[in-house]
Amino acid sequence: MSIPIVPNLLRDHLSALAHSDERIDGRGQWEGRLLEVEHSILPRAEGSARVRMGDTIVLAGVKFQIMQPYPDRPNQGGLMCSAEVRPVAGRNWEAGPPSPESIELGRVVDRGIRESGCIDVDSLCIIPGEKAWQVILDLFAVSDDGNLFDAFALAGIVALRNATVPAERFEVGDDYPLGVSKSPIMCSYHKVGGRFVYDADSREELGGDERIHITLGDDDNVHSLQKGLKGIFTTDEFQEIMDNARKRTKEIREVMDSL
Amino acid sequence: MGGYGDVQMIDENGIRVDGRGPADIRPITIETGVVPVADGSCRMTWGTNEAIVAVYGPMEAHPRKIQRQDRAVLDVAYNMAPFSTTDRMRPGFNRRSREVSKVTKDALESVVMLELYPRSKIRINIEIVSAEAGTRCVGLTAASVALADAGIPMTEMVVSVASGKINDIVVCDLNKEEDNYGEADLPMGILPNTGELVFLQMDGDLSQDEFKQAWQYNMDASKEIHKIMVDALRGNSS
Repeated sequence: MSIPIVPNLLRDHLSALAHSDERIDGRGQWEGRLLEVEHSILPRAEGSARVRMGDTIVLAGVKFQIMQPYPDRPNQGGLMCSAEVRPVAGRNWEAGPPSPESIELGRVVDRGIRESGCIDVDSLCIIPGEKAWQVILDLFAVSDDGNLFDAFALAGIVALRNATVPAERFEVGDDYPLGVSKSPIMCSYHKVGGRFVYDADSREELGGDERIHITLGDDDNVHSLQKGLKGIFTTDEFQEIMDNARKRTKEIREVMDSL
Repeated sequence: MGGYGDVQMIDENGIRVDGRGPADIRPITIETGVVPVADGSCRMTWGTNEAIVAVYGPMEAHPRKIQRQDRAVLDVAYNMAPFSTTDRMRPGFNRRSREVSKVTKDALESVVMLELYPRSKIRINIEIVSAEAGTRCVGLTAASVALADAGIPMTEMVVSVASGKINDIVVCDLNKEEDNYGEADLPMGILPNTGELVFLQMDGDLSQDEFKQAWQYNMDASKEIHKIMVDALRGNSS
């Protein structure tokens, strides 16, 4: 991703807004943008979702392949998660091999989903030691107006929850729903004008400092954390974010369960 | 082309597997403004094909060696998303997507008024998120709409459509099943108001008469599709 020049005017403006407890688009400090979630919208994918948060729009698609289990885990299938931010999603994203930014995106989302244990990898075994399902989750950005992390994580888990294992096409039995037992949700916070805010848009990302991503499971268990970009934060700041993440992940989980 | 002529894809009344007649195209929907951060954009579904196109620019062309002193350059990238096909498409460049990008660029450079924007670049990103058959036609047609949505001056919008042959019968706009058994494919990029062409490919086996029929089907279909494009841009989208 090419880094645009950060105008000091934008930083000053964001800082002034933060001092009067305001944000550049009028939201409150912990207020998210309008969230829309749809699933099963891509005809060629075995599971899919579209998530929109303000002007950030992403797709997630699930595909399956048959793999040979790893020798040390003969009864397990696998999960692979990759994120692609192609130039379609914004003028600063460039063509070419995956950028460090999009690799970080894919890996942080992957960790949250994987470590929550939401997919029972033992259930993906077809013939021990010979055949198992590899679940491939591809995350695709359509429009990047900030906070692709949360959009990707939500689209990913929604797509998995609606995925069907295409056993008939691979001639290994009848199709069945992929069992997804947990619902990890990511919440991201950005330091803007000296304080953390939830769900930063692209202007706040551009004129902000460090960001922190938290993935919580159903029981508020922590499944992944990531601090990105240059910046320093305190234990108290982190505790405040964590408290907010506990609230916000529940709200998002309710949206997801109502689908 | 498979050329499996023994699989029956059209009945004795000329009705195709999905109930269409030989000259009928699959259902099309077009929506603009689907990539809010872009200067212009378009989502087009055509059968179970779905393309998302974003246009950025005109903007500074860099590196400078790609600049043209007398006109803008188009940077066209056609890509298929990993989940767009039955078997997962591995991300990254391949020879097919490079070729489709190039012929799409050649078609669009024929209609965009490039001389209005010397030394600049207009970026056109075509993403196929669901592929059935005829994705290059969907991509090129949707790109025309996205350019119009971005307010880029063009002499005319390109409409792209293909006809082909199954069971020795010429039909318009093959779907996936028909394409698997297709005996020929003739995709064209047409300027429907003048009947001129800016894009043409063909592979397979067509007699001179079959070729004329396929050509005519494409010409007729282009007018129908053009109407849907104009309606979408005027805001009375289907």
